[in-house]
Amino acid sequence: MHNNKALWGVLHFLAIISVFVSLLTGLRIAVLDHDYLLIFSHFLPQGELHSLHIFSACVFTLCALFYAYWRLLGQVYSLSKLKTRNFSIRYHLIVTYVLYVVTFLSCISGWLLFAENISFDKSLILFIHYASAIGFILYLALHAGAWLIELGLRIFNRLLSPLKQIKRSAALVIVVIITVPLFWIVMKATSSHVLVVNTINVDQYIQIDGIADESFWEQALPQTIFTHGGANFEDGATPITIKALQNGNELFMHVEWQDATESLRHLPLVKTDSGWRVQQNGFHHFAETKYYEDKLAIILSENCEFGAAGTAHLGPRPLKDKPKHWTGLGYHYSETDVVDLWHWKAVRTNHMRLMDDNYIGKPDIVREGARRYKAGYKTDARESGAYKMNWKWYSPNGVVPKRLPFNNEWLAPYQSDGNIQEAEIPWVLPWFDGEAYSSLKDNLPIGTVLPSILYTSNQFEGDRAHVRAYAQWQDGKWSLELFRKLNTGSDKDVALRDGLCLWVAAFDHAQIAHTRHVRPIKLRFKP
Amino acid sequence: MNWVARGLVIAGTLILAVIFGRYEHSPTPAYEGRYIKLSRVGELMRSWQGPWSCVLDTQTNLVWENKTDDESIHDALWTFSWYQDDKGVKNSGDCYFEPDRCDTSDLIMRMNQEKTCGISNWRLPTSKELSSLIFNIPRTGEAKIANDFFSHTKRGDYWSSDADIPLQGVYAHLKTGAIAIDFIEGKPRAIPYRNAAFVRLVSSNISIHTTDLKKQ
Repeated sequence: MHNNKALWGVLHFLAIISVFVSLLTGLRIAVLDHDYLLIFSHFLPQGELHSLHIFSACVFTLCALFYAYWRLLGQVYSLSKLKTRNFSIRYHLIVTYVLYVVTFLSCISGWLLFAENISFDKSLILFIHYASAIGFILYLALHAGAWLIELGLRIFNRLLSPLKQIKRSAALVIVVIITVPLFWIVMKATSSHVLVVNTINVDQYIQIDGIADESFWEQALPQTIFTHGGANFEDGATPITIKALQNGNELFMHVEWQDATESLRHLPLVKTDSGWRVQQNGFHHFAETKYYEDKLAIILSENCEFGAAGTAHLGPRPLKDKPKHWTGLGYHYSETDVVDLWHWKAVRTNHMRLMDDNYIGKPDIVREGARRYKAGYKTDARESGAYKMNWKWYSPNGVVPKRLPFNNEWLAPYQSDGNIQEAEIPWVLPWFDGEAYSSLKDNLPIGTVLPSILYTSNQFEGDRAHVRAYAQWQDGKWSLELFRKLNTGSDKDVALRDGLCLWVAAFDHAQIAHTRHVRPIKLRFKP
Repeated sequence: MNWVARGLVIAGTLILAVIFGRYEHSPTPAYEGRYIKLSRVGELMRSWQGPWSCVLDTQTNLVWENKTDDESIHDALWTFSWYQDDKGVKNSGDCYFEPDRCDTSDLIMRMNQEKTCGISNWRLPTSKELSSLIFNIPRTGEAKIANDFFSHTKRGDYWSSDADIPLQGVYAHLKTGAIAIDFIEGKPRAIPYRNAAFVRLVSSNISIHTTDLKKQ
């Protein structure tokens, strides 16, 4: 078996496939952090890619490990064993060192990212992983490009001919082929973070006030997840710590995440000499990253597939018959089950003491009058109650408010140029504290700032109001308490039970640019 | 082919691919759909423009009132008892724009006075006309109608002009009423004239040239 060329052929073939899949899926995932990569969008795959990326990483890592092992044993073909050392061979031997470096960096950084452990410097690891991907592209240009230039189409014969001798090393090839799916199955089965859910008595009282000062919270085991890729957070990342309790009827959670700024200025209106305008820097394209409230989203699903229960479908048009995504990043939708989505919003729902109970379902139909297509992201039904935006129709060139407060003095705290603590003012105008807008009555001075959120009642009623929640911001952290019935009976909600998977994402005054993590967090109910 | 030529072919292919593949991400609205928005004075608007006051249904050539939340006569919260041509029950609905309470003839009179969308022959729709708006795939929990054109539509009963309908069940003692279309289930049902139901007025026999929009 010395210098087994068939084994080299199999490993090389698997490595080619897995590197290409890893690079293409990885670059599509990297678009979330580096939108300039959209210039290559036509060459990148679209759809649910996280699982494919991790599977190809498994294949490539195993190839690298097998190669390293058999190379040490001298059982696999290598250029370095060749006695002739012409220019081409010497060149490729040197280029191989590039491969060793980028393989080592890519595999180590990739698996450290997958670990989602908060004790590593994730920004550095993300950078190394991205840089090693660029290194791989460089390597491919130097290695495959050079062979292609030297041999032309004969390169394919060079690649495939060793496979003809596969019978001579069938045993080793079988070891490789069996190991890959086994590794994948074991890894998927063991890759969840575990969130232990302690049981408390049904008569024990928890005040949903954003302050986890009840004694049961101290006994709850925290699970901290590193999330990254969000706009405005330091290095785009924030750790999110979750604790959970249940009493047989309801599930309680305490969620805490770092956010240096409390952001409540949600698309405020400002009066200019040409009328009212909405302050925004990306809202027109549904990607505001400046004048927006802080948010937190929790996805819950029976499906524990990587990447938000397999709902994250990347690319500008993952659904061929549906509209392009405005930013080209992708859509959330589920091909099969309903995936629950709880969305806490620092202005729009916090004063209602609710999370917005939403869900991710099958892709919506295209609605001709809707400028923004949201695929599977939908709100639960509500019987009554709502927040509304305080404009009759949004345009970047100017808006007409729906309502102004009865008394101009009501607006005084909002004219502070940020000198006032954000939390001291709600940034919400109750519908009945104002009157319908009339240009004749609008005597507010130029420069007046007006909240954009109108509450028509103090909260939603119905399905959309199933998740009670309240958060407080203090010393660079949001602290959110929430609870929901284990089983609401709604077909747009997921029943909360042992083994259910969830994902969390934080938004720092950003409309859609949220942090993310790949591995599910599995609820483990403890008696 | 020597190695220089191969290199040039490969480099040229990559450069062409990158140029060809440059990403553009400007979704564009469809202008050829069933419904067209009309401004307060009846100008055609594109489907992503607003605010709009009426909706032209190009399938039926009917123009429909669009409801609002601005406390004007078009506010979607106002309800009306059924009354016209001395038939029905006067002033049993609720609105802010009449000194008394409201009925269907009040809205018809006010919209014809206002010439909403440049039209002055507003009327109650027949149940068949109103049923033509039923859309069975609304957004979750919303009224069964094209929600993005008929904004603020309530999940409730909307009056039609079909009157003198025998009432049944608990309403039988009131003898006759009118047909309302229930936009929760998308079905017609006879209810008493005195009931407070929503109204969406309609106009026909109008000539609006949708080709004008396509030229914009």
